[in-house]
Amino acid sequence: MMQSRSRSWLVAAIILGVLFFVASRAPLGSWTMLAASPALDALYAPVRWWQSFSLWFIDSQTLQARFEVVQQRSQQQAALIQEAGSLREENRQLRKILDISDIPGYRWHAAKVLGRSPDMMSQRILLQVKGVDTDDVIVSSEGLVGLVDSQMGAHATVRTIFDASVAVPVTIPGSTLAALLRGQGDQLIVSFVPLENAPKQGKVLYTSGAGGLFPPGIAVAEITAVRSVPGQLFAEVDAAPIAHWQRDNWLVVASHEKHDTP
Amino acid sequence: MTALAVLALAWLGGCLNLAFSSTMIQPDWALALLLGSLLAHRGNWIWVLPGVALHDLMLHWSPWVCLPLVAAIPPVLIYLDDRLGAGLPQRMVLLLMAIFVLAPWGWGFAELLLTATLSVSIWYFAAKQYVYAA
Repeated sequence: MMQSRSRSWLVAAIILGVLFFVASRAPLGSWTMLAASPALDALYAPVRWWQSFSLWFIDSQTLQARFEVVQQRSQQQAALIQEAGSLREENRQLRKILDISDIPGYRWHAAKVLGRSPDMMSQRILLQVKGVDTDDVIVSSEGLVGLVDSQMGAHATVRTIFDASVAVPVTIPGSTLAALLRGQGDQLIVSFVPLENAPKQGKVLYTSGAGGLFPPGIAVAEITAVRSVPGQLFAEVDAAPIAHWQRDNWLVVASHEKHDTP
Repeated sequence: MTALAVLALAWLGGCLNLAFSSTMIQPDWALALLLGSLLAHRGNWIWVLPGVALHDLMLHWSPWVCLPLVAAIPPVLIYLDDRLGAGLPQRMVLLLMAIFVLAPWGWGFAELLLTATLSVSIWYFAAKQYVYAA
């Protein structure tokens, strides 16, 4: 009896050991989350049905008011798109004059949030999106969210900037700062900030574009604390993310445009 | 059959946690089900532990969240039951420890309390089923 019990515990210990080894080598968590995506689709179906059904009971005045709001927003966005177009052209011409090589292009497309990890900061996100690749950049309307970890069919998992494996090169426009922002579970730290060049609390850090993974100029985090440590060259800087993806239903994916090499 | 049903419900609970984590406060359905089943009959460890591993991977992308503590529950229970006699206090302490290990992973106090309450209820009903079956 005692022998069979100890044998079963030995088998369990071996299984656990194998599991830990495999989990440390392969993205098992990401795959498990992706495997749950059909069930999440099914869970959301009643919500979608209810939303479609409730549309039948909205009176025409409310619909008219909503239409006007959407029309107003659409006009504002059209103006912004026009302005962005002229700025893009101006930027292209300036780059040509200054002989600066262009950064690789990105293809932007919307993605629906299907699920989030239940921790307060929602460190992992499951998206419903097609045509994305690993390491594509995820952005909300406010700022940088994270990177695509893996994708399967029409679903993709996202590691947010809270993940310790994501390091974002950041800068402050108009300054010479070139720092690295890293996640530490529920907070962000900024490394390599020289003491004499340390930005003030409340300053916003933007992606610098160094390394080519993140497009430049996206708001990433706001500095919450700057501490100097005696004897150290760099300041200790804490930051909080600009984007609040915990409640966003839609995010944007910036996919790296593939250039065919001859 | 019971094992499969509980594991399927735990999977559904995990999906509920993923889908509605930002819209409402909810317990950790999967952990409550699995812990309740384990405490009702410690021989259930054989299917509860893979379930807890799946729970950890699905919600936290790491098997190091609850699994080590839940894996320790059956041998610790055997030891404590031999020393103190079978009883509720040691089970309650182990249950709370296994649930509150989620606190550093960003779970709120209300969610953990809901998980503990649900787990105790499931433990009670599952234990009753085992008594009827015996």
